[in-house]
Amino acid sequence: MLKSFRDVLEADKEGGTKKLAISSAEKKDIDLLGKAAAAGLVMPCLIGDGKVMEGMIKGTPLASLEHEIMNEKKPDKALSMAIGLIREGRADMLMQGAVKQQMLLDAVMDVKKGLRQGKLASCVSVFGLPKPEKLIFVTDTFINNRPNLAEKQLILEHAVRLAGVLEIEAPKIAALAAIEQINLSIPSTLDAAILSKMSERRQFGNAIVEGPLDIDCALSKTAAERKGLQSVVTGDVDIYLAPEIDTGLLLAEALVFFGKMRTVGAIMGTANPVILNLPFVREEDRMVEIAIAVLVCKKGKNDA
Amino acid sequence: MIRSLNDFLRVAREKGPKKLAVLAPEDEDFMLAVKASWQKGYTEPILIGNIEKMERAAEKIEFDISRFEKIIGDDRQAIADLGINMLFTGRLAIISKGQIPTSYIYRSIIKEESRAGSGMTVSVITFWEIPGLDHLVAFTDTGVSIKPDFKTKTEILKNVLFVYRLLGYPKPRIAVLSGQREIGGMLDSYRDFELLQKAASAGDFGDCEIVDATSFTEIFLGGRGRLGNSCGMNMERMPYILLVPCLDTGNIICKLDFFLAVTRCSLVATSRGPVCIPSRSDSGDNIVEQLAMCVVVADRMKTEVK
Repeated sequence: MLKSFRDVLEADKEGGTKKLAISSAEKKDIDLLGKAAAAGLVMPCLIGDGKVMEGMIKGTPLASLEHEIMNEKKPDKALSMAIGLIREGRADMLMQGAVKQQMLLDAVMDVKKGLRQGKLASCVSVFGLPKPEKLIFVTDTFINNRPNLAEKQLILEHAVRLAGVLEIEAPKIAALAAIEQINLSIPSTLDAAILSKMSERRQFGNAIVEGPLDIDCALSKTAAERKGLQSVVTGDVDIYLAPEIDTGLLLAEALVFFGKMRTVGAIMGTANPVILNLPFVREEDRMVEIAIAVLVCKKGKNDA
Repeated sequence: MIRSLNDFLRVAREKGPKKLAVLAPEDEDFMLAVKASWQKGYTEPILIGNIEKMERAAEKIEFDISRFEKIIGDDRQAIADLGINMLFTGRLAIISKGQIPTSYIYRSIIKEESRAGSGMTVSVITFWEIPGLDHLVAFTDTGVSIKPDFKTKTEILKNVLFVYRLLGYPKPRIAVLSGQREIGGMLDSYRDFELLQKAASAGDFGDCEIVDATSFTEIFLGGRGRLGNSCGMNMERMPYILLVPCLDTGNIICKLDFFLAVTRCSLVATSRGPVCIPSRSDSGDNIVEQLAMCVVVADRMKTEVK
């Protein structure tokens, strides 16, 4: 079981380098890719204005490391080319450069030309807890606005799959809601209860879903017991399933800013890993995002 | 100006004791908080509930409740109705929830507000004390409205502004929170932010400012900012009030005190006084802090007419 970002980086040392395609890379991307290439994680393939790319790479660590440049000046075509490389099996993963997020996601989720695999993609935010040292996951923190029950099932499956890649084989999941009781007026409590029932019937494999859980019961066994709630999940949650994006995004951000926690994101549900530029991920931790994407490639578990 | 929970405790000592009706204090943890609050001079309790259960709880913690007024009752809704009615008829200053579902109390408040013709929307305000920050931060509504629309949000905002001004903040800074980001189109919560910002600019909420940021990233790093290599939290940017998009978000974020180094206290703002609604998972010390907060709000409400 991987317990920290350090473990994730260590786990990637075996199994060879993966090819990363990026269109319209920026200077900070070049610096990051230089480090990732030096660590043996990826061989970058940069698609964009060839001369501009060469100028940016010149004098950086990447200049002396294996990389590839493909010339395409128009950003939309460069993005299509990057995705095309992956579709043809000539690259393994996609990283966002200066391309706008919506443009990137539209291209990735395009049914005919993109990397769409299942019905939806979702974003899992991975946090490194210091004490006890463990990785926890919050989802969906970026992609889906108001997922319905069927979509939540997929989002949950994505997170379970990612947990499996990080060697957490029987994750404990809190399906979050405002309260821990089922209230017919609060849809999130109903969805959570159904997901919990599905888990009882082992529809998520070894994963255990408890819900609805309010955050105090999810975080503290004592708090849960005061409310008369007994569960192996309370106080020991691996995956927090947010009811919708307002909660998912703000919860992830609250942990980053108020909890001073480090986080990285993983986009799941696409045929190949996609690394998004999330604003609440520290620059220094983007290397971990690449490492997770490499692990996902190696274990072939990104698709829905 | 009340800047910390300690300020609440200090002022509550000066202004107490206030008459407090406790609804079904039938559990020893809660009775312990009632005892501590009385011993510290914050409150003078009236106990409403099952007499045997209240006496048993008091006995276990060696609290002599013979000196206090007791009203016997078993029906949870009737207990809530009676207590809230006592608040609205001016018989006492504060109500506190004991072993009674919060929804019963909300129902009673809504009934009394309607009877009083106040037109007030019931909402819950949850304060956070964050180490290193020189003011309290309030999340609202963290307890009542499941998915408030724009109109309801204006009422929720008016309620929290009223309380903040009581606490000595003349021009509170507000963030209207949303999960809006570069992708996914416009969220309802973001549309409400835009409308509320316009309303604030037009003076609908009196002296206050709605900041141009709807997520914590935007609050702390600015519009297009991204995290560098630190947590990047500039405390000076922290608003006083965080209007949450819906109940799920509000409740989930505000109870992160179980995980973060923050302290939480909640109250319901009614037109006639504060109602203390500790969660069943709150510790005894935390309940005492919440009662002290209600004492201060009740004291200051005496001089203000909502």
